[in-house]
Amino acid sequence: MKWVKGLALMAGVVSLAACGNEQADEVSEDNPLNVVATTSMIADLMETIGGENVSVEGLMGPGVDPHDYQPSTSDVNAMSEADIVAYNGLMLEERFVEVFEQLDERGVFTIVMADALNEGELLDPEEDEENLEYDPHIWFSVSHWETITAYAADQLSEKDPDNEDYYQENAEAYLVELGELRTYIEERIEEVPEQSRYLVTAHDAFQYFGEEFNFEVVGLQGLNTQTEAGTGDISQLADFLVDNEINAVFVESSVSPRNIEALIEAAGSRGHEVVNAGELYSDALGSEEDDAETYLKMYRANIDTIVDGLAD
Amino acid sequence: MSMINEITLIAIVVAVACALPGVFLVLRGTTMVSDAITHTVLLGIVLAFFVTQDLNSPLLMIGATLVGVATVWSIEALQQTKLLSNDAAIGIVFPLFFSIAIILITRYAGNVHLDEDSVLMGELAFAPFRRLMLFGLDVGPRALWTMLVILLINSLFIGLFYKELKITTFDAGFAAALGFSPVLIHYGLMTLVSLTAVGAYDSVGSILVVGFMVGPPLAAFLLTNKLHIMIGLTAVMAVINSTAGVRLAFMLDTTIAGMIAVVTGVTTLLVFVFSPEKGLIKATVNRKREQKKIDQRLKEIS
Repeated sequence: MKWVKGLALMAGVVSLAACGNEQADEVSEDNPLNVVATTSMIADLMETIGGENVSVEGLMGPGVDPHDYQPSTSDVNAMSEADIVAYNGLMLEERFVEVFEQLDERGVFTIVMADALNEGELLDPEEDEENLEYDPHIWFSVSHWETITAYAADQLSEKDPDNEDYYQENAEAYLVELGELRTYIEERIEEVPEQSRYLVTAHDAFQYFGEEFNFEVVGLQGLNTQTEAGTGDISQLADFLVDNEINAVFVESSVSPRNIEALIEAAGSRGHEVVNAGELYSDALGSEEDDAETYLKMYRANIDTIVDGLAD
Repeated sequence: MSMINEITLIAIVVAVACALPGVFLVLRGTTMVSDAITHTVLLGIVLAFFVTQDLNSPLLMIGATLVGVATVWSIEALQQTKLLSNDAAIGIVFPLFFSIAIILITRYAGNVHLDEDSVLMGELAFAPFRRLMLFGLDVGPRALWTMLVILLINSLFIGLFYKELKITTFDAGFAAALGFSPVLIHYGLMTLVSLTAVGAYDSVGSILVVGFMVGPPLAAFLLTNKLHIMIGLTAVMAVINSTAGVRLAFMLDTTIAGMIAVVTGVTTLLVFVFSPEKGLIKATVNRKREQKKIDQRLKEIS
């Protein structure tokens, strides 16, 4: 049974090697802060506020569903060298929260976007459910994003007090742009008649948008993109489309369109024609070619798609 | 220790820990049990969640292991009846357990981010970030320690019951005649398979569990007819695959689990083709030779 001994020996060597673990953690002031951000929305925000003082590595690229994200080795390297980790929270990055908390314990500065908001400002998916979980798609509320902008600037200033003025200035300028975005959204929404303000999408990502701009939002799949939409969900929603005379539904860039197509067919079989009015960005920004690579452009693109799809 | 070395080390330990019970899965022709487990553990997670109502509870891991055990035991029990083939038994149990879990989720927990991924994190790339702290001291990645313990248990089990495992694997009837219960050894082994699968799932993810349990033992099986050599070769293949996979992943900047799975597939395929005794080339040459002999015989007769 030599190999048993061999294995035992190997196990011993391995455990010894594991003990000799040290970590080098030096933050130099002249170098930019290394920021790792999970979603592309957060990467965009950190870049906007941090400006030249930060080097941002976004983990989830354009069109990536946070649920299906696979880290590459450069992501791992970026995380091991990160000074700051910025993530959404509310279980959006469910698999990695534990990792981020560990990084936090090891002295990496973590900024959780959801921490900027009070519990009262968050939406519950359904009030009567026992095991409540908050809706994590907080970026679709512009006013929440404003709060988060201010919070992120404060946090960055806490990490790097020397440049506080710079971060606050960038945040101020960005808040102005967010204000313009809000005006744009409100103006465009006016083009949609009030009785047709229904947003039907692949999964429940747009509740915050609905809350803020008075849209009835219905997601086919619930909060989690991994759960299957049951046949009951599809036929119920098809009935809903017929009853409310909704003529346009939307797919999402990071979710497979197959369920929405099934919904369109189900409505068709009830003699109600529904069109796929285009693709919305939900859990990730778009690419540069789509002209939706920043939060501001993404939101504008979404609003244009929604309004063009519903206003006719 | 640097990131890449830590990841390599974890990969090696997980690979060897999975490959050892995998040897017997390959020999018994039930390799896909590993795939079944990585899916049915969801049922354990769901059931445990209904009890605890907490996604971070350690009970969820225990539930996963228990249902993993239930899975292998049910498969094993179905096979013992001899009424259906090995893969059919897996084909019955795995979809049944998995779909019950899916139905429970859609019916009762539609608004909770509840799935395997949220409980068994399973990402090798992030394993070095999950540290084990003992008395305020960082003693290394948690996955490394969990899997070392599992590796040790597996080695001990196979070491202690080597003779019994050998006889029950190759001749269950004879084993029973000798007086020790092949069923008990079966179930012991299958429990280890379940424990290993859940532990590895939590450390490196589901694709790799299947790859680690099947690839190296299969390659070793093609290289030798002796059990102890097969076990040794399995460990060697596991080490080669995981080391090469991690290095390549860092060179090409891609997903580590995916790269190890690819390397495992390639090395197993290479062995399949080029193995000196049981390889594809050797088999083809042998067949041709036989054919020639037969042709010659036929000529001689006629």
